[in-house]
Amino acid sequence: MEHIMTITHGYQWLTVIWWLLIGLFVVLYIILDGADLGSGVFSLFHADHEERGAIMASMAGTWDANETWLVVAGGAIFGTFPLAYGSLFHYLMIPLMVTLWGIILRAVSLEFHHHADRSKSFWGWGFGVGSLVTTFSAGVSLGAFLQGFSMSNGEVPTFNGGALDFLTPFSLWTGVTASIAASLAGGVYLRARFDRDSEIYAKALGWTNWMFFLGLIAIVSTVLWTAWQFPWARARWFGEYMWAYGLAGAVVLGATWEMRRASREQRDVSAMLWLGTIVFINFGTMMATLYPWFVPGTLTIYDAANPSNSLSAFSYAMLGFVPVMLSYNFYQAWVFRARLHKLAGYAAH
Amino acid sequence: MTDSSSLMVDLARLDFSWISTMHILYPPLTIGLASFLLFSEWRWLKTNSEEWYRLTRFFEKLFVINFGAGVATGVTMEMAFGILFGPFSQAAGPFFGNILGYETITAFMYEAGFIGLMIFGWGKISKRMHLFATFNVAFSSMLSAMWILVANSWMQSPTGVHLERGLFLVDDWTKAIFNPNFMTGFPHMLIAAFEIGLFFVAGISAWMILKNRHPQLFLRSLTAAMLALVIVAPLQVWMGDELGRTVAAHDPAALAAMEGHWHTYNADGSPNTSWNLIAWPNEAKGTNDFQIGIPHVLSLLEDHQWESVVPGLDQVKPEDRPPVLAPFYAFRIMVAAGGILMLVALWAGWLKWRGEFSVAGLQRRPWFMRAVIFSAILPYVAIWTGWWTREIARQPWIVHGLMRTSEGVSQMSIGAEIAWFIGFVVFDLLVWIGAWYFFAKVVRKGPDLESPVVDGDNPELGLGELPDATAAEGRPLFVRPTA
Ligand code: HDD
Ligand code: HEM
Ligand code: HEM
Repeated sequence: MEHIMTITHGYQWLTVIWWLLIGLFVVLYIILDGADLGSGVFSLFHADHEERGAIMASMAGTWDANETWLVVAGGAIFGTFPLAYGSLFHYLMIPLMVTLWGIILRAVSLEFHHHADRSKSFWGWGFGVGSLVTTFSAGVSLGAFLQGFSMSNGEVPTFNGGALDFLTPFSLWTGVTASIAASLAGGVYLRARFDRDSEIYAKALGWTNWMFFLGLIAIVSTVLWTAWQFPWARARWFGEYMWAYGLAGAVVLGATWEMRRASREQRDVSAMLWLGTIVFINFGTMMATLYPWFVPGTLTIYDAANPSNSLSAFSYAMLGFVPVMLSYNFYQAWVFRARLHKLAGYAAH
Repeated sequence: MTDSSSLMVDLARLDFSWISTMHILYPPLTIGLASFLLFSEWRWLKTNSEEWYRLTRFFEKLFVINFGAGVATGVTMEMAFGILFGPFSQAAGPFFGNILGYETITAFMYEAGFIGLMIFGWGKISKRMHLFATFNVAFSSMLSAMWILVANSWMQSPTGVHLERGLFLVDDWTKAIFNPNFMTGFPHMLIAAFEIGLFFVAGISAWMILKNRHPQLFLRSLTAAMLALVIVAPLQVWMGDELGRTVAAHDPAALAAMEGHWHTYNADGSPNTSWNLIAWPNEAKGTNDFQIGIPHVLSLLEDHQWESVVPGLDQVKPEDRPPVLAPFYAFRIMVAAGGILMLVALWAGWLKWRGEFSVAGLQRRPWFMRAVIFSAILPYVAIWTGWWTREIARQPWIVHGLMRTSEGVSQMSIGAEIAWFIGFVVFDLLVWIGAWYFFAKVVRKGPDLESPVVDGDNPELGLGELPDATAAEGRPLFVRPTA
């Protein structure tokens, strides 16, 4: 990979900034859409016809913006790390394809459910199934990403493995973990969005309790599995900066405790914020573990980066937009902050 | 670079063309309809006439369905470059990836930040803030089209870059962004979006008037749309001609394919300026098996001259020739659609001028009304065929003259490509059928004339809260989810 490195010399700090920003986009996606997806999963198991409609109505004004963070992450990877975009996405073809099918199903179910009469229950299920499929296959993609993939050594190295390389027990397990974690986020979200005396609220209470413990087991086992399977993770976690990772772990544990407490005391919005914090710190820790790899063991962020003149052009043009983007999205979420109750979905007719 | 089996390349092309064909059904209408909504909402604020409010709310319902479908099919596109055309994405990334990155940051996220306010913000934010949200949605969707067209037109006329070690490095950003094809391709696309939006509004309004459902109300939208089209439809034909001349200048092989033009010179040595009305190309023999041509029209169209040399496919090495049949007929269908749309618009202008644009006057002219309704389909046809022309006539290049499609394709298994195709046929058809089914349903149901007109600024009411839960204290009843 020598030759590409020579093109990408310099501007290393820009590369790092973009890598961090893309991390931010991805974690925002996970936190925001995770809650939407998780309430979709909840609706599969726990909601009646009307409740499903109400859950869909609760995210009507924001799901599109939440999902768009994924598109932004994809676009920014293409813009700033084209070498990774072209090989990683090819490697992840099948899980991404399935994710896209899930996203399509969920998106149209959300729009069509409202207008449907006879097919209402079909779109209700479409919403739930689409959410579950999206979550699971996105989780598989994340696990597969951590495994890395094989590259040719031509002038511009490309992915040269097989279509099923992504499929391992580890990536399946990360898919399961993602589904459980999202289910937890969905429950927490629903409790913050629905009236305390509504039935959904009560059901979500039981659901979050279960998912909390399942989630704990799933996440801890994923972390252990990662440490066992990946030397790069082990080296980091038990290396020079072990204390820092230990600290991060302690903070996460503390936050988990706080979330539990907030949740038991029905401080629902705090519980949601604590959960967001946990995801954020976990993700940050993962990125710290990865550095300097973009795809572990496969591409470093410097290998994958855009030749520097493009990267700086991208940065000058775009960096200023990021805070603007964040602020109008916040405004939109703020407008739709009120609590709802069960019949909301039907009020429209 | 790498060699690829041609079946694999063809499947990747098929996969990509299917998803883009299913995506392009929605964004132009999003752009056109958002602009119409901006107009009608502005009329409402300006004149305080309830009719514009009702129209805005009615067409907004259709907008939402279309938007959802656009998002559902669009997310696929963003990922598909890397999945299906990995090596192309890597090589072109320094320019092309940047442009798509710009798009997601400046357009999609911008749009997504306001669309919720526009659709669900009625009554929760002030009227002016709402108009501002509508403006942002309309504007950001145009920005989105602009960036996409920058990327695509650069594939047609890649200026401002050079190839170095397998990567396209940018020498001059201005030249690369404002590449020649963009300068005419983007206006043509934007006008296409307005045209589809206006004919969509006009078609539905005409149907309502013909059925005598709220005819006075829909007379307003019909008149506004048709009057705008008197300008927009001819403008599009003119812009199309400009685009054709750009193609002639920068990609003569594509133009020759679109026109089925094989021989640069006639047998007697004079320039061949014959424009083929219809033809049956024979790519193996390098000529048309059959053709009906009109002399001089070709040079008139491409050069605006009575007789000049228009390079034919005989000037292009056989391995660099694009397919001819598809671009030739796709192009003719688009042009025919553009011509018919222009005539319908002029017909409307004439009726208006004669003072016949009243409910009674129009209901006496069912054939005009039927023509308007039918015209709502034609912009879709034109947009499809236009893009097929463009993309197929660029072949065998993925980046014209610099990179072949076969070099840009990901090395995939045939099975995975077929799975992709089947999966997206199923899901995209689900989207398409669903969208049209619910369009029809909303139209059949007609506008809601009962619920009170919104007033703005009622933050206490939550999204989707039942009106009667809070109506007791005399608060308005209007805050309801609309979609
Ligand atoms: C409402 C839609 C619509 C209408 C009425 C027309 N077009 Fe069009 N045309 C498009 C929508 C479109 C499009 C789908 O938007 C394309 C594809 C890419 C682009 O930039 O515009 C296009 C492409 C396109 C191209 C480029 C092909 C290439 O790049 O290889 C040419 C030369 C024309 N058009 C010419 C015309 C002419 C002469 C028309 C009228 C008589 C016309 N178009 C009507
Ligand atoms: C949305 C309207 C579009 C339609 C209907 C469309 C249609 C098609 C078709 C039919 C093909 C296959 C051509 C062939 O192989 O013969 C194709 C290929 C392709 N298109 Fe488009 N396209 C659209 C927009 C775009 C845009 C906006 C871009 C770029 C930003 C783009 C990039 C590509 C690429 C990379 C390929 C594959 C390489 C190739 O076959 O040349 N397309 N598209
Ligand atoms: C001429 C071709 C195209 C135009 C004019 C266009 C424009 C638009 C517009 C205005 C939207 C907003 C949503 C909607 O309209 O329903 C949209 C959606 C989308 N388009 Fe396209 N697009 C085109 C082709 C493409 C291509 C080639 C890509 C791939 C990069 C793409 C990616 C997307 C994505 C990801 C979305 C969803 C965005 C969201 O989540 O809000 N589009 N497109």
